[in-house]
Amino acid sequence: MKHMSKKLLHTPEGVRDIYGREYARKLEVQARLHASIQSYGYEDIQTPAFEYFDVFSKEIGTTSSKELYKFFDKENNTLVLRPDFTPSIARCAAKYFMETKEPLRFSYLGNTFTNTTKLQGKLSETTQMGAELINDPSVEADAEMISLVIAALQHTGLKQFQVTIGQVEYFKGLCQEAGLDEETEYDLRDCISAKNYFAAQELLEERNVQEPYKSVLLKTADLFGNMTSLTEARELVRNARSLAAIERLEQLYEVLKLYGVEAYVSFDLGMLSKYNYYTGVIFKAYTYGVGDAIVKGGRYDNLLHQFGKEAPAIGFMAVIDELIEALDSQKVELPLPAEKTTLTYRAQDKADFAQKLAQAQVLRAGGQAVALVAQQD
Amino acid sequence: MTNDRYLTFALGKGRLANKTLELFEEIGITCEEMKDKNSRKLIFVNEDLKLRFFLAKGPDVPTYVEYGAADIGVVGRDTIVEENRNVYEVLDLGFGKCRMCVCGPASAKELLQHHERIRVASKYPNIAKDYFYNKKHQTVDIIKLNGSVELGPLVELSDVIVDIVETGSTLRENGLEVLEEICPLSARMIVNPVSMQMESGRIRELVAKLRTKLEA
Repeated sequence: MKHMSKKLLHTPEGVRDIYGREYARKLEVQARLHASIQSYGYEDIQTPAFEYFDVFSKEIGTTSSKELYKFFDKENNTLVLRPDFTPSIARCAAKYFMETKEPLRFSYLGNTFTNTTKLQGKLSETTQMGAELINDPSVEADAEMISLVIAALQHTGLKQFQVTIGQVEYFKGLCQEAGLDEETEYDLRDCISAKNYFAAQELLEERNVQEPYKSVLLKTADLFGNMTSLTEARELVRNARSLAAIERLEQLYEVLKLYGVEAYVSFDLGMLSKYNYYTGVIFKAYTYGVGDAIVKGGRYDNLLHQFGKEAPAIGFMAVIDELIEALDSQKVELPLPAEKTTLTYRAQDKADFAQKLAQAQVLRAGGQAVALVAQQD
Repeated sequence: MTNDRYLTFALGKGRLANKTLELFEEIGITCEEMKDKNSRKLIFVNEDLKLRFFLAKGPDVPTYVEYGAADIGVVGRDTIVEENRNVYEVLDLGFGKCRMCVCGPASAKELLQHHERIRVASKYPNIAKDYFYNKKHQTVDIIKLNGSVELGPLVELSDVIVDIVETGSTLRENGLEVLEEICPLSARMIVNPVSMQMESGRIRELVAKLRTKLEA
């Protein structure tokens, strides 16, 4: 019997309990991010934890079907636990705001689920917070989103971080100019986004890509850093698509200067992840203490089309658990709620209980946390 | 960002680590501490350049780098492909050249011509699976072994093996041969994606120096 009940205490791999100080810290970080997002006029939105499979299908989502938690409803529809929020928000916007042309600002917070057993040590359930700005194609919208990320991270007390910005159109324009077929473009994208310079070199030689394109394409793996990397990138291309991409980034940088956040920003034109999903600016926030980006985001002007609404959109998502790991490793202190007061009364002593209760109620009304505890004789 | 942060290297134990240190020395990066063979230290430091080195078992190197416990790793391509971690593979160091191959007795050649189910023993189950499933579209049973994989066909545990071939002498001595080549291998430098952004100046300088040295 005893053995059996011990077994019940375990949680499945990839999920865990969060309690005590750790949870208080998590709530504080969430509150701070939320306050920043709200200060930009974003409205909270809650979507269901599971939806129809199609909402997260290959054409729409960024998580491969293998990594989705799937199950069936009574009518045998396939349901999916959300791996992220963006498709749900897009669905919501299309459903309730089909005719709206004005910008829509949404913010969300909740747990997401990915079935990744391969990555030992990574959680299957993580908390994400993010914001989406729909119906605004402007560079000001791009800048708002990036500045918001920086403001929110600053507000949590994180100091050493950096937001790297890319523009997928630059690479797409370049592939078009070089006349690459789709397969080569995809293979090359994989090499370049992994900064795998020599694999890119091998690929370009194997597929007989001619100069000057061979060298130019190869260079994109190396095009990252400050503003000079953009100047360098501009000189490499002649096609309108790539040039427009560079111009957009330069305009973006000007607006970011108005926000006064340019010190946090760098550029990387080889950042090409989730390539078919993002249509323009794409960005990631990096910091010490975690192995991956803590914030990811970008412009996805085609996503709402999947739900029948033609609307440009840009958004970001922060992984709260990773952010907290970074804050821990950087030893950032956050104010935690005041310790609770404990009032004890003698068990079975009704008069004493009544007196302590009255006292507790006064303290509680005054905003203190009070626990009323019976003391056994 | 800050310059007082150490840049940490995880090196695959053995010949690979020695070759790497030789190469690093040629571009002016030394680690005297590591040359002391009697040292029991696990982490070696170069204070002037703010570098730290440690030795790890090959398959662990991509893990250290993925989690950012090391900024940079040096390990064979076989391990990188097998572990399939989220790391940047930035440089081919050129040494440790060999091939990943399907090997077996000559009689097993026939078995690879069809899509029939065969048994494959390997230290690299992921590489073997990817090759047979996605490239050859052949059904296989994969048996994971931890060493002396050549024994597989000899004692009839498996039909063929997937393993690294350098000279092929072990194979020949045991009556086995290379049946198919999967991919060429050599030592690679891998970088954590966050480090690549946060320490881009130092890492790119290092990569550029090494690249010039290797091309010379």
